[in-house]
This record gives sequence, structure tokens and C-alpha cells, in this order.
Amino acid sequence: MSKRRIVITGMGTVNPLGHNVEQTWEALLACKSGISPIEIFEASTFPTTFAAQVKSFDLADHIADADRHVHAGRHAKFALSAAHQAWQQAGLDSIQDLDRSRVGIYLGCGEGRLLFEKLSDLVVRSWDDGQMNASRWCELAWETMDLYEEFEQESNMVAAHLAAAFNLCGPAFNVLTACAASTQAIGEATGQVRRGEVDIAMTGGAHSMIHASGLTGFNRLTALSQRNDECASASRPFDMTRDGFVLGEGASVLMIEEYEHAKARGAVILAEILGYGASADAFRITDQDPDGFGAAQSMRAALADAGITTDQIDYVSAHGTGTQQNDQVETLAIKAVFGDDPAKVPPMSSVKSMLGHLIAAAGATELITCVLALRDQILPPTINQETPDPDCDLDYVPNEPRKAQANIVMSNSMGFGGQNNTLIITKAS
Amino acid sequence: MADRRVVITGIGVVTAAGVGIEPFWQLLCCSQSAVRPLSLFDASKYPSSIAGEVPDFSARNFVPKSYRKSVKVMARDIELAVAAADQAFRDSGLITRGTEDLGEMSIDSTRLGCNIGAGLISCELDELGNAARTSVDENGRFDIHKWGAEGINNLNPLWLLKYLPNMLSCHVTIIHGTMGPSNCITCGDASAHLAVGESIHYITEGTADAVIAGGAESKLDPLSVLRQALIKRLCVSHNDSPTEAGRPFDVSHDGLVMGEGGGLFILEDLEYAQARGARIYAEVVGFGAACDPAAYDVKTPTVGSIDIAAKKALNYAGIDADAVDLLIAHGTGVPAEDKLEAQAWKTVFGDRQPAAAAITGAIGTLFAGAGGVELATAAMALHTQTVPPTANFTAAADGCDLDLSGQPRQADLTYALSGAFTVGGQSAACVLKRYEA
Repeated sequence: MSKRRIVITGMGTVNPLGHNVEQTWEALLACKSGISPIEIFEASTFPTTFAAQVKSFDLADHIADADRHVHAGRHAKFALSAAHQAWQQAGLDSIQDLDRSRVGIYLGCGEGRLLFEKLSDLVVRSWDDGQMNASRWCELAWETMDLYEEFEQESNMVAAHLAAAFNLCGPAFNVLTACAASTQAIGEATGQVRRGEVDIAMTGGAHSMIHASGLTGFNRLTALSQRNDECASASRPFDMTRDGFVLGEGASVLMIEEYEHAKARGAVILAEILGYGASADAFRITDQDPDGFGAAQSMRAALADAGITTDQIDYVSAHGTGTQQNDQVETLAIKAVFGDDPAKVPPMSSVKSMLGHLIAAAGATELITCVLALRDQILPPTINQETPDPDCDLDYVPNEPRKAQANIVMSNSMGFGGQNNTLIITKAS
Repeated sequence: MADRRVVITGIGVVTAAGVGIEPFWQLLCCSQSAVRPLSLFDASKYPSSIAGEVPDFSARNFVPKSYRKSVKVMARDIELAVAAADQAFRDSGLITRGTEDLGEMSIDSTRLGCNIGAGLISCELDELGNAARTSVDENGRFDIHKWGAEGINNLNPLWLLKYLPNMLSCHVTIIHGTMGPSNCITCGDASAHLAVGESIHYITEGTADAVIAGGAESKLDPLSVLRQALIKRLCVSHNDSPTEAGRPFDVSHDGLVMGEGGGLFILEDLEYAQARGARIYAEVVGFGAACDPAAYDVKTPTVGSIDIAAKKALNYAGIDADAVDLLIAHGTGVPAEDKLEAQAWKTVFGDRQPAAAAITGAIGTLFAGAGGVELATAAMALHTQTVPPTANFTAAADGCDLDLSGQPRQADLTYALSGAFTVGGQSAACVLKRYEA
């Protein structure tokens, strides 16, 4: 039996550059930066004071029954909007007798917001002789804890809200492989549709780590840019002067289904998913494998799954975070797969230079930009390319979008801890 | 590749009975409970002060010498997973660079996958407090400005990495040198079943020859215990009689008993396992998953449409419900959930209920670790042809008509079905089959 073909029929996104797909694409092609000083919590004294935030978002502007999801976390609300956009574009409301046990959910969503300030306050007030007095903490905490605020932190809750919004009872997965999560989710969802476990899958990711705990954690890891005085241009993947990634937030959701299924119901096919690869660095929790072996292995697995060779790839959407290490290792891994001859390496750009790093939601958002690149035959740029880094010597589509003939493209994601994922897609045909 | 069959060749569990499958299986078959007063923190003022806590546990005993320094960046969830992985690999006979410190792998590392379910890992409050206690204003309240400017520097630079749920998988991949697909499913108590269900496809589709899969979690910390009390699932009536607290489906069930730990398996291509002469516990022949769209409100009791998940798993296995000889129920002991779960099994099995068992009476509920130990129970039951008893079961609660027993039973077991569900509404089920050479 030949492999069933899997296609994308709907897409939606909420991110720092827009509240829908077209707004986002327009901003990316205009080289806009979604980065600004942090307004959603008090961050003015942190080593990093800026982020790529979703602006003026109110779920009630996006869906009819927003009240039902009043307790949902910030990232779950982004996901609800993105899912509605995708569902609508896919035209799924028009299906008579849709079997909702055969519509799957497969997400790569992050945890909700840890109530860091409240938790820290409770802990310092319970501090007693060098340690926390657990009984005192219990008394103080019990008075202030809110059921929904606590439980919406579990990362499976976004899937719960989407199941409710579309009345779905099929398989529901959430994976949280850090920065690779939503790429992994789309890849695994593709497998489920291919195997016929579901007819349609709602897949993608959502995350917001723009809170005190997230900023604390990434600042301590010295993973974030600290270019506080010129934050709009702080995300500088592959540039010599890069000093870390920029924390972003958002959600992107795609509807995928089997080709014949989509064709039979007259759906508009946006792109086809050709291949998926996954690997583990098995190196260190703090560092990527400096040779890029794991990342290369993920790309090779995706190429094998797609049944194509490197010369057929016309563009690569990079993980491209803007940390010293990532961009160097990713460049090495690309060379390991495509060859040292620069002529053999396709153009590669990082939209994180404009969107920031949406962590678990990054991969799905970047895959949407790949679909649009195929549709419009134009490659989004990597902005802020000023000073070349001899270790990053590929064509990163610097500073302006580029017309290109693109038939097949690859998107890479690499998570903290060494989980790598690759997707390969092609034009709708 | 479509014909590749998947078998379980290694089991590693960590539970209140201790580390390893033997102490757990012994506890279970004696119908005993290892639930005891919590010792990880002073829980005397908490609504529940008892738990299925893993006794005398040190992760250092389960990592190679060359990796011991890394234990200090492991939250307890990660430590438990690392111990379970060590047990699973050793039990399987596969040699990794973890079972023999930096030794030669007996399997191609790029053909070895990893898929470990995890939960929301709680921040260690003593660690946070130690860093935050100087960041206070004149009234002794936490001051975010002081924190951002100074206090933050008191935290270990790797603080965040202790709490990322994918770190269970990541540490295991690093310790044992697994470089194939690696995933981390975070769907509460359904995570381990989902992880096993996904991993079998790594093998049937040929991207891996073996996978370490399952789940682990510890919620035995002040914040998580209060959360379970807040949602009113917790058993608060047995603080003075901990061994009698976990009573799944029993007439006097009174809520969930928190446990910790997990279960990991070595899943392996049958031919690969046969070629190396591996011991085979059972074959994994079916998987299904579902969700409950009403569960987005966490106050609504849910069993995640587990009847749909189970029917899909039976369909996958190509068997009728009548063929199932053993049901490992999830049995949280929360009265509303027990009743919904029993109804769901009635929907699946009709009037012919298979022999059933639940493990929560013995060790409590392990959240993302639960499914791992439940599937280990199913595999051991098939391997030993024993229906394990359900600790503390005396008589069925109203509407909970499962075929449970407080005593072990010998039986002719071919197929076992195990299912689990979570707050938030996801569920999954796996069908295991007795392996006959």
C-alpha cells in the first residue's frame, strides 16, 4: 500500500505580528518587528525587559462563545482563535454528519502561566529559619488559590478547550518538547491521518512564557537577548552581533486531512505534507551537540520519509533562534546534510528575527509561513543582518523578502534538551 | 514493515513499593497497600497528609557515575523517570551507555526511540524561597523589582531546566544514548498509554527497532497536594489509616490518594527481540485514544470518553470485547469518576464483564506515571497468568459493577485491556496479548 497523501486545508494564527494569517504574512514581508518593551507584567528591572507580545487581543473579537472559555489561559485563548480561523478556512462546518470521534487533536502547547509573584510572596512569608514552613505556607496558600488558575496551568488544557469549542471526542494529544513541540505535533498528527486513525486532525501549538517565571528561567540560562536599548532589532539570527533569542508568544493551528478526503469534499488544498523526521541529540541538557549530528539526523529522516533528495529542497525555514550556539550548530547541520558546496544549500531564513521565539508555538507558526512562501513564491527574510559571522556563512535571505521558485520546502525545530524535528511540505497540486 | 509486531521486553517501575517490578508485583499480589504518611514535607496541616511515596529513594543509584553531577538539576519527576529507565533497560538485557557506564551500545542508537509522558512539574518551594527571601519590601512582601534586579541571581542558572517536562525524556536519551525519535506527551494520567500507543508506530513504521516508553510524575509537593484538595478529588478521611485510604470502586471509596512514580517499558520489534533471545512479557496489539469535550471545565467529573478509546483499541487489535480476559481499570477512587468509569466499561463490555483490577489501592494515583504502572500490571498479569487483587476492595460501590476481587486469581489470560483518563478529558487504552513463543 502506498502512503496516503496528507494535505493542509486550514490555517490560523495569533502572534506578535498579527491576529490572523494574512496580517502576519504582510508584516513579515514588510520586515516588521513584533518586539517591544514588556507590558503584560512588571519586567522593568530584569536583565531583559522586552519581548514579542501579542497586542490588544480579546477573544470575544474572534469567537462567538468566548464566555465559555473565560477561565482559559492566555495561550489557550490564542489557540481558540487560531483554531476557529483554521476550521473556517477548511470549510468543516459544511460537512454533514462529521464524525467527531474521527477528528483528532494533536497539539504542542506549553504550560499555562505559573503565578510566580503570588507563589514567591507566599513562600517568603512562610520563610522560617532557613527553610519554608510548609504548614504556614498551606494556611496562606489555601486562602488565595483559585481552582481554575491552578488547573489551567496543565498543558493538556488547551486541547480540552479546543475539544469543547468544536465538540470533538477523537484522540487528543499534547506534547511539550520545548521549542520543537508544535513541529513534533504536526509530524505525529500527519502519521495518525496517514494510518487512518483519524480523518482530520487539528494540529499546531500555543505558548506564552512572557511571565516572571519564564523570563527568570531564560535570563538565568543567559539564553535571551539583553539588547534593551534597541529591542525592536534585538532578534538577530545568524548575525555576528546576535546575543540571544527574544521571547515571544502566540498560537498557530492547522487542519490536516487525507488528500482524497479533502478532494472529495471540495476543500481548497493549501499544501501537502511530504515528510517528517524526529531525533534526539542525546548530548547534554544545556548544550546542543556541537557537530549538529542530531539536527542532521532529523532532516535526513524527514527526507527519507518524503522520499526525496536534498537537491529538491528549495528553501529551509530555520530554527534560527539568535543564540550563539544554535545558529552555528544549525549551519553546520545544514552543511552536513546538503553538502559543503554553497551552491547546493538552498536559501534559509529565520522569521524569528521578526516574530521572536514562540517556544512551543514556534514550529507551527513557521510552517504556516512556509505554506505562504509556496503559495506566493516568495521567501520571508531574516532581518537585522548587518555583520556577517564567518561561522554562519549561508544564504539567510538577508533583510528583504525574495522572489523565488519554490516547490518543496523544509522547516526545522530544535528543542532545549536535544529533541529535533523536521517537516517537509510541497505546493498544493 | 506493516507486519512488524511489537513486544514488551523490559519493565521498569518505581512506586511506593520501591524501585523495580518485583517489590511492586509482590505488594500488589498480597493485596497490601504501601500508602503511608507523607515524609517529603511536613504535611500535618494539609487536607491529606498521606501518599504512595517512593521510600528511601536516591536517583544517584540509578545513573552512571559519569552522570551523577547532573542529578542536582533533576526535579523529582525526572529522578523517578531516570530510575525507571535504568530498571527497564537492565530488565530487557539491552546494553546502553547508561547500563554500562559509557559502554558500547548493543543496539544502533539512532534506531532506539524514547517517549516519556510527564506532568506539570512543580517548582521546589524551598529552592525558590532561598532565592526570593531577600527580594522583599518593607512589609516583608515579595518585590518583583528587587527580584528582577538582584534576587534572580540567587537561583541556579539551570533552574528552568529542572522543570521542563521534556527533561524526563531528555535525561534518559542522554544517559542511555537513544538518538531515535524522542517525545514527551503531557496529557495527565493518559500520558503513558498515549506514549506507548504512539511508540508502537515508531516500530511498525520502521523508524525504530526499540523504544523506551511510558510515564512518570511526582505531585507530592505542597502546591500539587493543595491543588488536588481544591478540586475536591482528594481523600481526606483516612489520614490516620493510610493503608485503607485507596479504595477504587469500593463501597466506601472516598477520593483520590496521591502517589508518585511511574513505569517505563522497552517496546521492541518482535523479530529483533527474538534474534537477541530476549525475554518477552507480552505483545502490544491495540491502541485507541479519545477525549471528552465537556471536560474543559475542570470541575466537571470526566473519564475522557474512555469507552470510545477502548473500542478503538479493540478494533485496532481486531478483537471483540468478549475476547478480553482482564481489565486494568484506572480507578481513581473519586466516587463520581469511579461511577462514570464503571459505566464506560459497561458500554464496552456489556453484561459480560472481564476479570478486573485497579492498582490505586496499593500505591495511589501516579498521574502521568499511572498508566506506566497500569500497563506493567497488565503485562505481568499476562506473563504470570494471574489476575492481581485490588487492595481494599470489599464490595462494589453503587453503579460500579466491575469483576474485582480482594484476592489474587489464577486464570487463563490471553488479552488484557488497560485504560486511563485525566482531568482535562483525554483518555487512552492499550490492548496487550499473552506472548507464546
